[in-house]
Amino acid sequence: MNARYFVRKLSTLVVTLFLTVSFNFLLFHVLPGSPVQLLARSGHYDAAAKASLTKLFGLNHGLLTQYFIYLKNMVQGDLGFSYTYRKPVTTVLGAAVGNTVLLVGTATAITVFIGIWLGVKAASRANSLTDTAITVTSLTLWSMPDFFTGMILIFAAGVWTHVLPISGIETPGLTVGWLGHLLDIAKHLILPALTLMLVNAAEFSLITRNAMVDVMVDDYMVTARAKGVAKKVIVWHHALRNALLPIVTATALYVGMVLGGAIQVETVFSWPGMGLLIYNSVEQRDYPVLEGCFLLFAIAVIATNFISDILYQVLDARVRNN
Amino acid sequence: MNKKVEALQAQGISRRQFLTIGAASAGAVGIAALSGPVQSAGATTSSAQRILRVGWTTPPDLLNPFTFTSSASFEIVSLMYDTLLEYDVNLKSSAGLAQSHTVSADGKTFTYKLRSNATWHDGKPVTAADVKFTFDTTAKNNLGQAAWSLGEYLSSRVVDTHTVAITYKKPQAFDPALAVFIVPQHIWGSMSSSQIQSNTNPKPVGSGPYRFKKWATGQYVQVVRNASWWGVAPHAAGIIWNEFANADVMTQSLASGSVDILTEVPAVLWNGLKSKPGVKAAEMESFSFHHIGFNVSKAKTSKGNSLLLDKTVRQALSYSLNRAQLVALALAGHGLPGSVQLPPSFGDWHENIPKNQRFDNNPAKAKKILAKAGYKVGSNGIRVDKHGKPLQFRLIVIQTTDEDVLAGQIFVKAAKAVGISLTLETLDSTTLGNIVYNSAAPDWDIFIWGWDANNPDPDYLLSIDLTSQIGGNNDVFYSNPAYDALYAQQAVAMNRTERINLVHQAQKMFYEDAAYCVMWYQSKLQAYRTDTWQGWKEIRGGAVYNFTRSNYLTVKPK
Repeated sequence: MNARYFVRKLSTLVVTLFLTVSFNFLLFHVLPGSPVQLLARSGHYDAAAKASLTKLFGLNHGLLTQYFIYLKNMVQGDLGFSYTYRKPVTTVLGAAVGNTVLLVGTATAITVFIGIWLGVKAASRANSLTDTAITVTSLTLWSMPDFFTGMILIFAAGVWTHVLPISGIETPGLTVGWLGHLLDIAKHLILPALTLMLVNAAEFSLITRNAMVDVMVDDYMVTARAKGVAKKVIVWHHALRNALLPIVTATALYVGMVLGGAIQVETVFSWPGMGLLIYNSVEQRDYPVLEGCFLLFAIAVIATNFISDILYQVLDARVRNN
Repeated sequence: MNKKVEALQAQGISRRQFLTIGAASAGAVGIAALSGPVQSAGATTSSAQRILRVGWTTPPDLLNPFTFTSSASFEIVSLMYDTLLEYDVNLKSSAGLAQSHTVSADGKTFTYKLRSNATWHDGKPVTAADVKFTFDTTAKNNLGQAAWSLGEYLSSRVVDTHTVAITYKKPQAFDPALAVFIVPQHIWGSMSSSQIQSNTNPKPVGSGPYRFKKWATGQYVQVVRNASWWGVAPHAAGIIWNEFANADVMTQSLASGSVDILTEVPAVLWNGLKSKPGVKAAEMESFSFHHIGFNVSKAKTSKGNSLLLDKTVRQALSYSLNRAQLVALALAGHGLPGSVQLPPSFGDWHENIPKNQRFDNNPAKAKKILAKAGYKVGSNGIRVDKHGKPLQFRLIVIQTTDEDVLAGQIFVKAAKAVGISLTLETLDSTTLGNIVYNSAAPDWDIFIWGWDANNPDPDYLLSIDLTSQIGGNNDVFYSNPAYDALYAQQAVAMNRTERINLVHQAQKMFYEDAAYCVMWYQSKLQAYRTDTWQGWKEIRGGAVYNFTRSNYLTVKPK
């Protein structure tokens, strides 16, 4: 691998991250007023109690000092202190991140796999009935908002048939062995993961289809066919490999987008991940938690883009030799 | 780290394997799931082991009795901890951790006799020293939701192991023993004030009817029956408060039977529940009101429109509003038209202003008093004072509170009809809160918001608009020495009849001054299943999510 390419991409990554972190901090701290005030109205605090809360939350310093404290703590892995839960933000985030990774990870794997498969099927029979059916169906599903698809599934599975749980990640208070527990989580996972898959598979099927259609008419494809290579091999090995670049880009962008989309899906299904945490933190003005969430989102997006940049090197000789 | 992953790792499964299993079973389990309806805990077990399942959309914040602020946390904490006295099913004071108590003739010293069989969840006995410690700590550090009631606290004295005498600087009409959750000294005694404030209290140890079992953040809180509680054992073997991010799904879960009761249901969904079999949609009075607040700050730095300092203008605005129409339109009928700041749910504490003396739905009277005070109608239909300054004000409302926004729009029209121009602006609650509470230089004219009582005693709601609360709760900067005096008198009036009289006078005075224009007292809309638990009592303030824990302790499995 080209070392200069790597270093350039890495330094871009560091600068982007620093700017994101600073903007992230500023965004919440320039909002007028103090979060303690609102807490005080509902919590019935007097002036002395308010002052001690302000100190506890670290809001008694100037903005610049708070910024440096924030940076210093972040470098040490401390993302601050949640106003609502009175726990370190890292602890609050920890549980939620695991749940979101489970949901988004499962959904993304299925989405990308099914999307590519559908795209390849459509492209290998371009302009046939199969192609039209796949394209129209995926476009229809893609144009529906996540939460709407979710609500339809909730209605179908939770109201009509009662076959699947429609809320949460596990049945509260269920006492079963670890396998039962695992099955319980898996049951709860089906509907939210299905929602994400239904809405987003179109992105991959359409990109794959279009990239494949372009590739399929190239001269070397004709050559391969003339040489008598089986159609299956041509489609899956020759064509897909060359159509993979836009798919890698789309996957990288998708990770960022799906984290945002998961906010809606998690809210609809009460899935206790980062989306729900953000929703509740906005409601409760828990700024340190919001900062932590957005930092993680930023890292996820920047990191996946970095990985896709590196993957280009591996996949495409033109990038490698440039 | 995720607790579930942690548990799996303890069984030798890595995070990656966990994810793989999750992904694989997502598909495989589809078939398993089809084999039968979703079972939830409590639905299948014998009646002695039945778990009561509560659904809400309001997550608890903390389970530390010194720091929690949310109503949801209050609900859970009040079942794990005891107060010396508690509210019974009629919201009357009754014995709690203290089986009896006496009040000294001067009303300043309260002596409580604790139950000798009361123990903490860790088995240690509850003693008078624990009570002294709790009151001392709460008062000294101004901690928690009950600190407001200990403003006049002087000291506590341990008389013997089970007797404690608490003394105040002044007589106490409201007994703080109803509000302060007693905590064990052997757990909290060694902590500093800031340690107490940042303690998440991960394993709460109280003396209440339920013990802490589990809090799965963002999902549910579970408690189990405390077999050694001093009172009559409740029927529910455990309680689960299930958190929903979505009121539609929550309501659906009640209809399908996976929860037993909902703490709050939005009006539209509540109407839909009325026809569901096995479900009772209950409408009860609440201890809350929504009001229009006028900036009556007399501070030189106030940037509010000074014309609002004229009581006539405020009364005219109040006259212009049709409150019955507000309730019908903004609340879909689920409430009562507002008048004084204590809702009718307060019973005999509520001052009933006769209909013909109310500032309500009388635009003709509004015009008349404005004309009499010299506000003439200008060329554009807006009245002006004698210097030609128009009656033109800014109105701010919280954008996410639909009923307030609607009320604001109705108010603008009503005010215009009597010659007063209002410009409506919607803001998010934090921004509005910070604008309204900017006591140094308030730059606003009129706002719409609401208050919930934190107690069925009138003291708290009356205390909001005291001069001493400017910079605190006082959201309109109202300052009237006569009102302050009436408040102070009622706070020390040990004779109930005398106190009721003072409380009525205070409400009447505040009503006449019209710094608040109380729009309505909204209903508490709840719903519960009638085929899982029986004996739910509909109480003013709510069957659950109220100041009393009585329904939790008395409902029986069906």
